[in-house]
Amino acid sequence: MAEYRAEVVIWMLSGTLSLVMMLVWMAQAAAAPGGMVRGYKPADFATYFLATWVVAQLLVVWVSHELDYEIRQGVLSPKLLRPLDPFWQHLLGHVSERFIRIVPMLALVAVFAWLSGARFTPHWWAYPAALGLIVVGFSARFLWEYTIGLLAFWTDSSTSFQEIVWLVYAALGGMFAPLAFYPEWVQRIAVWTPFPYMLGLPAQLLAGKATLGQAGQGALVLLGWLAVFWVVRLTVWRAGLRKYGAVGA
Amino acid sequence: MTRYLRLIRIFTGATVAAQLEYRANFVGAVLASLGQVGVALLGIGVLFGQPGTTSVGGWSFREALLVTGFYMLTEGFIAVFVQPNMSRIAEAVRTGSMDFTLLKPIDAQFNVSTRNLNVLRMPDIVIGLGLILYSASALTVTPGSVLAATLLYASALVIVYCIWLGLSTTAFWFVKTQNVTELFSGVFGAARFPTSAFPVPVRFLLTFVVPVAFVTTVPAQALTGQLGVELALASPVVAAALFLVTRLFWRHAVASYTSASS
Repeated sequence: MAEYRAEVVIWMLSGTLSLVMMLVWMAQAAAAPGGMVRGYKPADFATYFLATWVVAQLLVVWVSHELDYEIRQGVLSPKLLRPLDPFWQHLLGHVSERFIRIVPMLALVAVFAWLSGARFTPHWWAYPAALGLIVVGFSARFLWEYTIGLLAFWTDSSTSFQEIVWLVYAALGGMFAPLAFYPEWVQRIAVWTPFPYMLGLPAQLLAGKATLGQAGQGALVLLGWLAVFWVVRLTVWRAGLRKYGAVGA
Repeated sequence: MTRYLRLIRIFTGATVAAQLEYRANFVGAVLASLGQVGVALLGIGVLFGQPGTTSVGGWSFREALLVTGFYMLTEGFIAVFVQPNMSRIAEAVRTGSMDFTLLKPIDAQFNVSTRNLNVLRMPDIVIGLGLILYSASALTVTPGSVLAATLLYASALVIVYCIWLGLSTTAFWFVKTQNVTELFSGVFGAARFPTSAFPVPVRFLLTFVVPVAFVTTVPAQALTGQLGVELALASPVVAAALFLVTRLFWRHAVASYTSASS
């Protein structure tokens, strides 16, 4: 992974949606009467969206593309001979990439924060709490992305399913705006999904706009979803293997 | 000239026939199009959904939707015409099949730019046109402004094509170019909003450094009749200059190409 350091920086910069939204909201707040939208000043928007960008960077998962390729090209077959589920190899690959990513990421955040006037919370406890949510959130996302990748056993459009799921994740997670900005009925649906707790909640913690109690509550919901995704992944994997074996691979 | 038109017809027929072999892919392409339009509409929907918000960067909802329409249309243009061709340049350089392209008795740039199509992403173009029609129906549009918008959008497409070709041509030196085009797509994401929705320094960047303002904002302004003369004249000039530069760059790249085996 360390060989691809330049590429990692480019990948990080191409995830621009939250940065674009940040700039638009900042301009919007600056132009609004009173200089704020729903109590958010331009600097508050900068803080929220930069925090979202950081969290989204740590939640990045591309395993469905890899699985799609492996299943279609038959690269999966030799891996099945090993006494270990290929799941773990993919997971470790993703986790080790985080360590490469974090240094240039912090440098970029420092530059962006300086340019935009973002200020992160001074309370130390918010950082481990956010990190904990990110770890559970990443695990949940990895499991559902893995399941989508496994759909390649049956269909050749599994990566497009991934695009749709990403849209729901980005929307309900709060990448377009803080969740409180959404219509009431969307918020009522969102609280039952894992998305706000893995993206928006850690971002709000870093921005100093969420409490430790909310973090704990979010962690419980996420852990519940984690268990669900774990079972789903395992079921789909077993069913997929039967199907894969059936075509004589 | 007629020879090139005939070639375009043959290329199109071949690539459409090849793609329709895989009918299941259509489902995937439709899902991808829905994802694209979903992201574009959500971004603008949440902005205008705030109490008391009637304009973003001085643009009303319908006007901003017009920009989103042009954005989707351009996404479609890239997905159908540009990306399927340009992504193959790097592969051809790496595997050495670029040799055959260069040996053919037609212009190599024409060949690499028109050989492939991704017809499955046509829904993007339809959605884009639909959005433009829907938002224009509530705005005052004259035949003159439609003509101006069409001409300016044509130069917008030239700009997009040139940027992609320029980035892809670097494949002759750097084997992998996928990352650079990914980066362009990221910056191009800013084009889903009118340029004036951004803070002033960013507006400058989006107009003069990465000229995405000319791609969606300028045609939309032309359609609603709010375009200044300077920008209207600048767009074709930028397009022509970019075309010339990328053409020279391409010729230079081909001249210094030494095949994969030698």
